[in-house]
Amino acid sequence: MNKDSRINRRLSDSQFGVILILPALAVFLSVILYPFLKSITLSFTNLSLLSPKTSYVGFANFMELFHNPYLYEYIKNTIVFVAGTTLIPFVLGFIWAIVLNHGFKGSEFLKGITLVNWIIPSTAIGFLWIWIFQGNYGFVNYILKMLGVIKNDISWLGRVDTAMIAVIIAKSWQTLPWFMAYLIGGLNMVPKEQIEAARIDGANNLMVFRHVIWSNMRMIISFLLILGAIGNLQHFDILWVMTQGGPIRSTTTLSVAVYRTAFQEWNIGMAATIGVIWVVMISLFAVFYLRHILREDLK
Amino acid sequence: MFEKSKSYRIFFWISFILIGLFVLFPLYWMINTALKPITEVLTPDIWPKHPTLVNFMEVFQNKEILLYFKNSFIVSIVTSILSTFVAAYAAYSFSKYRYKGRISFMLLILVSKMFPYAVLLLSIYVMMQTLGMQDSYAALVVSYITFALPVAVWTLKTYFDEIPDALVEAAKIDGASNFGIIHKIIFPLAIPGLISTAIYSFVWSWNDILYSLTLITSAEKRTLASGLIMTYIGEGNDNWAGMMAASVVVSIPVAIIFIAVQRFFVQGLTAGAVKG
Repeated sequence: MNKDSRINRRLSDSQFGVILILPALAVFLSVILYPFLKSITLSFTNLSLLSPKTSYVGFANFMELFHNPYLYEYIKNTIVFVAGTTLIPFVLGFIWAIVLNHGFKGSEFLKGITLVNWIIPSTAIGFLWIWIFQGNYGFVNYILKMLGVIKNDISWLGRVDTAMIAVIIAKSWQTLPWFMAYLIGGLNMVPKEQIEAARIDGANNLMVFRHVIWSNMRMIISFLLILGAIGNLQHFDILWVMTQGGPIRSTTTLSVAVYRTAFQEWNIGMAATIGVIWVVMISLFAVFYLRHILREDLK
Repeated sequence: MFEKSKSYRIFFWISFILIGLFVLFPLYWMINTALKPITEVLTPDIWPKHPTLVNFMEVFQNKEILLYFKNSFIVSIVTSILSTFVAAYAAYSFSKYRYKGRISFMLLILVSKMFPYAVLLLSIYVMMQTLGMQDSYAALVVSYITFALPVAVWTLKTYFDEIPDALVEAAKIDGASNFGIIHKIIFPLAIPGLISTAIYSFVWSWNDILYSLTLITSAEKRTLASGLIMTYIGEGNDNWAGMMAASVVVSIPVAIIFIAVQRFFVQGLTAGAVKG
């Protein structure tokens, strides 16, 4: 064996590679994979933090849950919340990306400031929007009254028909910068020659947008929408800060329902059961995402 | 990109003003309210007539809030350092080594980002209780490292992928040890990636509410983001200026870090592309 092949053997030694992932593997197995599987099995138990005895109850939790009319409310709320908080910031973020992509004086500064909304804690964002939507002195009521849209103050967070609108707007405000950042990246990847060629063929702005920009960005757009929807499906923080799922369950999404059932009613078994339903919903989106990743990155 | 026709100009200015107001005004309103004295808080004045720092003083004189602040710093810094190392080793391994199970583990890490955190929390809560780790910094740090891992690993991997294998091989021929190569050659070349990973983990732990709300049971260990909820959300709270001052205070550390290293962060984000 000559010296070169010995070095090569050492280089290709995969054992060191395995050693390097051990810490990640350890935390991953103990804090994600094990708890995940464990939570699934908990859905078949009556584990409660209030009673010391736990036993397997089969599908009893699922039967009880499917007969619980609240479940359908939670699912409906989740769908409304996710649709609103994905589509609104996507559209606004896209337009904002186009505006800022002009590169006028101060546009870099505006991009930076916009991203601050995304980086600050949900606690601060929740507080801020509670104040803005406050029933007597909130800025939203002030503006709407000034514009003549409403005559009397609306207690946005206190009414079942308006609370969801308020939390969707707050969450959209937080998510807009995330869409903007990636869409600016996407806009810059659209080949300039294609735009020029379309112009020479007489395309106007709308046609350029539809046939060149949109079609070039299709991949990144679908990616962002899927990832955005998954993130919003998981979202808990702003909802909890602003409404705790109320008034009367009107903003209780599956995430809030799991939290309430587990840590206010202390019924972990039932919380896990709601969690399973929630995981199934997320999986629908995750499948698209994974197919995409497998196609793009690991060929 | 677009022709500056008349209709385009109208679209541009309307969007600029309306979305601009939506994006920028709320944060301004937070600061504006925080600077108002008690007599002006309930007015819709766009500018405080007698700006004051008294609301901030009150936040900083609150002993509990100061304690939360300290806890948040400890937990976030420890998480940030540990998770950057854990993720960097794993990402380097994924990038430069080939072994059985590599792709499966990479995918598993990716998928794990989609497991709902509240569902994991059910078992983690029971687990921490059994291990007697409830109400400890460690419980939070371990959880945050794991949750920061997927994005961190995938971001760093794209950085390491760009470092040519020849560089690693040359170092090996010169007799550098495996760890020597990582610490002296690879990490310095991937500094922007490491910084953005560290920030990401820091921000994650700083901003978390759910885990801090449940795994921590005593006020002495509570972090700022969840602690403020205990302080300000409750029956009959109408200290709006105090609430806004506290919101500014909890936002400042992440905002400052972000602005200071925005270049790295955005670079890191886009390098990780839309994988995270």
